[in-house]
Amino acid sequence: MDSHQRITRRRFLKTAAAGVALGVVGSPALMHAKEEYDLVVISGEPAAATKKALETLGGISRFVKKGHRVVLKPNMSFARTPEFGATTHPMVVAAVAQECIRAGARRVLILDHTLHRAELCLERTGIREACKNISGVHVQAFQDRKFFKEIKIPQGKVLDRVEVIQEALESDLLINIPVAKSHSATGVSLGIKGLMGLIWDRESFHSRFNINQALSDLATVIKPQLTIIDATRALASGGPGGPGDVKKTNLIIAGTDPVAVDSYGVTIVPWYGQTFKGRQVEHLLIAHQRGLGKIDIEQLKIFKGSA
Amino acid sequence: MRTIIQALSLLLFSLLFIFATYKLPNWLPADIYLRIDPLLGLNAIFASREIIPRVLWSLILIGATLFIGRFFCAYVCPTGASIDFLDFLFFRKKKRPGLKNEAGFQKIKTGLLIVFLTAGLLGLSLAFFLDPLALLTRFYTFFLYPLTITLINLFLDLLRPLSRAFGWVALSYLHYFQPVFYMSAITLLIFGGIVALNLFAKRFWCRYLCPLGAFLSFISPLGLFKRKVSPECNECLKCQKACPMGAIEQDPTKTRFPECIQCRTCVKVCSQEAVTFPASLSFSLGGEYSSTNFSRRGFLYSVAGGMTFGFLAMRTPFTPLQSKHQLVRPPGAIPETEFLRTCIRCGECMKSCLTNTLQPCLWESGFSGLWTPKMDLRLAPCDQNCNVCGKVCPTQAIRSVSLEEKNHAKVGTAVLLKEMCLVWAQDKICLICDEICPYNAIVFRPVEGYRRPVVIASKCNGCGFCEKKCPVLGESAIVVVPDGEIRLKEGSYVKEAQKLQLEFKANPGDDKFILEESGFKIESGKKEEKKSQPQTPKGFM
Repeated sequence: MDSHQRITRRRFLKTAAAGVALGVVGSPALMHAKEEYDLVVISGEPAAATKKALETLGGISRFVKKGHRVVLKPNMSFARTPEFGATTHPMVVAAVAQECIRAGARRVLILDHTLHRAELCLERTGIREACKNISGVHVQAFQDRKFFKEIKIPQGKVLDRVEVIQEALESDLLINIPVAKSHSATGVSLGIKGLMGLIWDRESFHSRFNINQALSDLATVIKPQLTIIDATRALASGGPGGPGDVKKTNLIIAGTDPVAVDSYGVTIVPWYGQTFKGRQVEHLLIAHQRGLGKIDIEQLKIFKGSA
Repeated sequence: MRTIIQALSLLLFSLLFIFATYKLPNWLPADIYLRIDPLLGLNAIFASREIIPRVLWSLILIGATLFIGRFFCAYVCPTGASIDFLDFLFFRKKKRPGLKNEAGFQKIKTGLLIVFLTAGLLGLSLAFFLDPLALLTRFYTFFLYPLTITLINLFLDLLRPLSRAFGWVALSYLHYFQPVFYMSAITLLIFGGIVALNLFAKRFWCRYLCPLGAFLSFISPLGLFKRKVSPECNECLKCQKACPMGAIEQDPTKTRFPECIQCRTCVKVCSQEAVTFPASLSFSLGGEYSSTNFSRRGFLYSVAGGMTFGFLAMRTPFTPLQSKHQLVRPPGAIPETEFLRTCIRCGECMKSCLTNTLQPCLWESGFSGLWTPKMDLRLAPCDQNCNVCGKVCPTQAIRSVSLEEKNHAKVGTAVLLKEMCLVWAQDKICLICDEICPYNAIVFRPVEGYRRPVVIASKCNGCGFCEKKCPVLGESAIVVVPDGEIRLKEGSYVKEAQKLQLEFKANPGDDKFILEESGFKIESGKKEEKKSQPQTPKGFM
């Protein structure tokens, strides 16, 4: 070995300093101050508000790298048109998909394990139609067990294993795009409740387990890097399937902390005619207590804007 | 030439079969083959004692047969084409003994025809059992269709590693819904038996058994084209042996015209070029027509047979019990008695059913209900975006109505079995029936300090999503019973529902957790104990 290849103390310090300096200067946190927000809430039309929200978060390129395989998980579980408020607005999904492709994603797979017949769901929700002309984007419902893979839940309290759509496990990036709606078992159905659309045995959450506990178990293993709540309208009652009271809220809520995003989502409308906070939603509270995210929105840095 | 037309006809039949899905456009009559079948039509008209507009399509085939002759069997009939094809596949090289009493056996089908029509007159739909088009549609529905889907999915599975490697995303996840049916095995046995009979003689089925063939042969000797043998004939009897219908007599210049299907096999095999089928307008009403010499005795026996069937099938407890057993019929099905008489058991409704809920009956309503469609709502629900079963029904035993009308054609009412319900019996948090109900017919009401599901009967049209999705193992804790079904022969289901004060459209926002609803006030003492738990919706604290 040549002596000059050995790292001297001086050399180490120099390199380290340079590294730190470079890090400080190049840090996206300093370059885009916007990124410091825990949450971004944008009001406006579905597509425009979604784009603005992504931009405010620091751009989708913060999450999507060139060649990434991205999975988007909207709610398209019901064969209902968007105005019912039971499924994610197609323009929101399309806008996210479009941005991902623009940022260099190799392919974007939009998926769900639907409750109604798959082809009807894809058709009626308008999501397939909205995405059909974006190349590299595929909309797919997974209705057969062979597309699911069992994983263990090491920290599970009631669930110790669960079968999850394989593609969602193997993707480089998972973006959760739930719709804001009421739910007659979990109070609200937002991001964390939306994860149930990725698993095979949905029924067991109702029959065998305490659903609120099971949901937070699930959230310990499936962690979307980004959650975007489509609150362009909110199904304030009659959820999750509707029909019910659809409030025109015109909001997009986005952030990386799944509990925080949901927690904000709880506050946007009164559910079943009553106002609630995140802490009052059992599955969110359990998730928070298990360290999966922040629940008190008063302590969050929130960017509010409009598009 | 004939083979090509046959293949095209079979292809058309298969394509129409494939098109029979919930997406079927209104202008496309996917059931056209069944509609033009005069035997099914007559059977339905006889049994229901009514003119069914769709059945009038069969006048096309009757007219064409009167004009041309019995060409249908050789050129159009998809069952004949299937039998010819399978014969070629399996029995091509078989030596067939042939049957000695050809003319005697040929009369069987006439006898069957009379049996079926007599039974029809007595109000028993029976022709479906051996009608070639109903038979083939059933075979397609209950066997070929599920098998094809299985094979396609198997192929896709084998291809999957390749699709993944090449990044064909759509193909990587392509998977077709696998339909399943009761009675697949029986249907296969019957069809397989019919094909196996070819071991004895070519087109055994068409020659001896097919009641539709018998019907057409009655009117065929009037037709335009008739076999003619010129004096060049050297009586080599090649044609006599080759004729798939046994229509050539020992003297090869003579033809049993009712049996001749104009397939022209005799023309092909003749070395003397002595056989022709010239167009001749000379209706020889005399000799050939009377050659359908079905004896009076045979006729009487057949009528007696039909009446026996009619008696045995109708005079059973099943008849007074009609619509009193737990059978949920498809939406738009006409009243039960008429339904049983009109349905021709082709299975087209079950094939096209979007969710696979429509299943064939075995003995649920006795002999007269064999293969009739019922809804198995534990297996699958009825989707409110689909009204195809009526659209494809060739005899309108299920009425073809708009989606709006169909969703008002209540098939039954959901009933909650409280001893089995997870919420009622075990205080668990379950809401699946409420979650999935498209009509908000299930609400949660506070009972004994806990919110429990209750069915609002006037909002339930029996679609069965709740029964299907109920997570209780074994029998569902919420089942649809036929009580409250709306079965109309004519008129609007919407109006009928209005009359009965039913409403199958949920009011937005009516799913609130109402405490003040009459009769559901919770005692004040209890309320304190339970910390007014019911006042917050489930999931909130």
